[in-house]
Amino acid sequence: MSGAIRYVVLIVLSVLFVIPLVFIAFTAVKSNADLMNHPFYTLPKQLHWDNFLKAWKQGRMDMYMKNTVLISVIKVPLGILIEALAAFALTRLHFKWSEPLFTLFLVGMMIPMQATLVPLNILLNKTHLVSTYPGIILIYIGFGIPFGILILRGFFRTIPKELDEAALIDGCGDIGKFLRVIIPLSMPAIATLVIFDFMATWNEFLLAQIFITKDTMKTITTGLMAFRGQFTTDYTLLNAAVLISIVPIFIVYLTFQKYFVNGMAGSVKG
Amino acid sequence: MGLRAVKPWIFLLPALVIYMTVILVPSLYTLYLSFFSWNGIAPTKTFVSLHNYIDLFMKDTVFPRALKNNLLWMIGSLIVTLGLGLSLALLLNKKLKGRTLLRGIFYFPYILSGVVVATVWAWMYNPTQGFVNKVLESAGLESWTHAWLAEPKIALYAVFVAGVWQGVGQPMVLFLAGLSTLPQDPYEAAIIDGANPFQSFWYITIPLLQETFVIVIATTMIASMKVYDIIIAMTGGGPAESTQVLSSWMYYQTFKFANIGIGSAISWMLVFIVMIVIVPYVYYTTKKSHL
Repeated sequence: MSGAIRYVVLIVLSVLFVIPLVFIAFTAVKSNADLMNHPFYTLPKQLHWDNFLKAWKQGRMDMYMKNTVLISVIKVPLGILIEALAAFALTRLHFKWSEPLFTLFLVGMMIPMQATLVPLNILLNKTHLVSTYPGIILIYIGFGIPFGILILRGFFRTIPKELDEAALIDGCGDIGKFLRVIIPLSMPAIATLVIFDFMATWNEFLLAQIFITKDTMKTITTGLMAFRGQFTTDYTLLNAAVLISIVPIFIVYLTFQKYFVNGMAGSVKG
Repeated sequence: MGLRAVKPWIFLLPALVIYMTVILVPSLYTLYLSFFSWNGIAPTKTFVSLHNYIDLFMKDTVFPRALKNNLLWMIGSLIVTLGLGLSLALLLNKKLKGRTLLRGIFYFPYILSGVVVATVWAWMYNPTQGFVNKVLESAGLESWTHAWLAEPKIALYAVFVAGVWQGVGQPMVLFLAGLSTLPQDPYEAAIIDGANPFQSFWYITIPLLQETFVIVIATTMIASMKVYDIIIAMTGGGPAESTQVLSSWMYYQTFKFANIGIGSAISWMLVFIVMIVIVPYVYYTTKKSHL
């Protein structure tokens, strides 16, 4: 295909892809009267930044955001530490159960979350962990384990065994080997995992919907649903809330775009 | 047992305990529950053997539609999402100005949550003020306007469009990665042999991308069976249950109607169907990696 046609096709498609985002941005800064009385494609008569403030405060996006940030900030590092310890045992501590245990962890990738919800609900109710940070974090860590171990085990295997021996000669025990050799050398894999994990936690909906029933504990996804229920027809406010919920992930995306695009391809190929 | 034998278990302990508690044991308990009739509160559960599964096909009028919707979603994704992803990858697989920006635009919706995508598109489809109907009206096509998400015949397709918007970046990126590893020699040889670009694509690119195709097809099929967020957040399975899928119907049966046994049976149907895709896929990839 010639260069010019290729460009035209790509530009038309990219405009189509951007339209929904532009449309919400336009709506978010309009007043309700402006939205009602002027065609949808007109620029806002006046920029109503107060929509964002209202969504943030009255719509409680501040609270939902705080909950999500707190959960992510604990879940992501703790989960990766637990996965890395396991992957270390599976690849570095000569151990006859490595293969069967790895397979056991992989089985988890086959099981849809739906197949665990009722027993988990019973468990959380019995332990009074419904609508608590520890409860939802425990469940998020659990569902992150199969994928995390798959990625980290794959990466740890590529680290030459000679480095282990060098660490041994330097007097490192297994913990030293883990902290001073394996972890520092695995930073590229860990960085990719951090970003994916953060994104998955930020966007998670099903588990949050079932296990967080209290409004004050809701995360950004379930919070946005509650927001929609409350401001059903206030479209300017609703779109402001949508934009607020996109901003953090957009910043992460812009900062780490390389990891997203390349890491994604690499990790799925395993 | 000496310390040497115990040590690996200590490193594995947290992962193993949490994994068993959160995934393995609950999923087996769900399988057990799927053989019972239970409302989740009563102290006794009634054993019904396979009747929950049989009822799904014989009595439950929504389940077959939900299954059909999943299959429609899967076929649609394999044709539209995968096809568009491959086309975009081919278009972008050249040195051209703005390549990174364009790739970023097509990939961006993939990082959004299903709830955000659903909210954005529910607004696009708003009957009176939404972008879609407004554009049709401006173009003089009033007769084409619809209450997109409120009409049982078209709601699923309207949601699917949002799903394509969200999902196309994933296959695009995987195909781009696959394309970047292709050798140039076969193409040069093909040009010498007088092959046209379409022939090169069909006889060289497609076969060489086999591995990528397997990955993309498998992940697309699995994702189609698990589709949930976007349905719940856009239509809630309605209107008139026309957009129910297995996972959303499982949610309603379990948490709205308190039919724990039926809900558990649906979730295990999901496990079986996902296994049908994953087992051959894992077999294929392990066979490849041992070559």
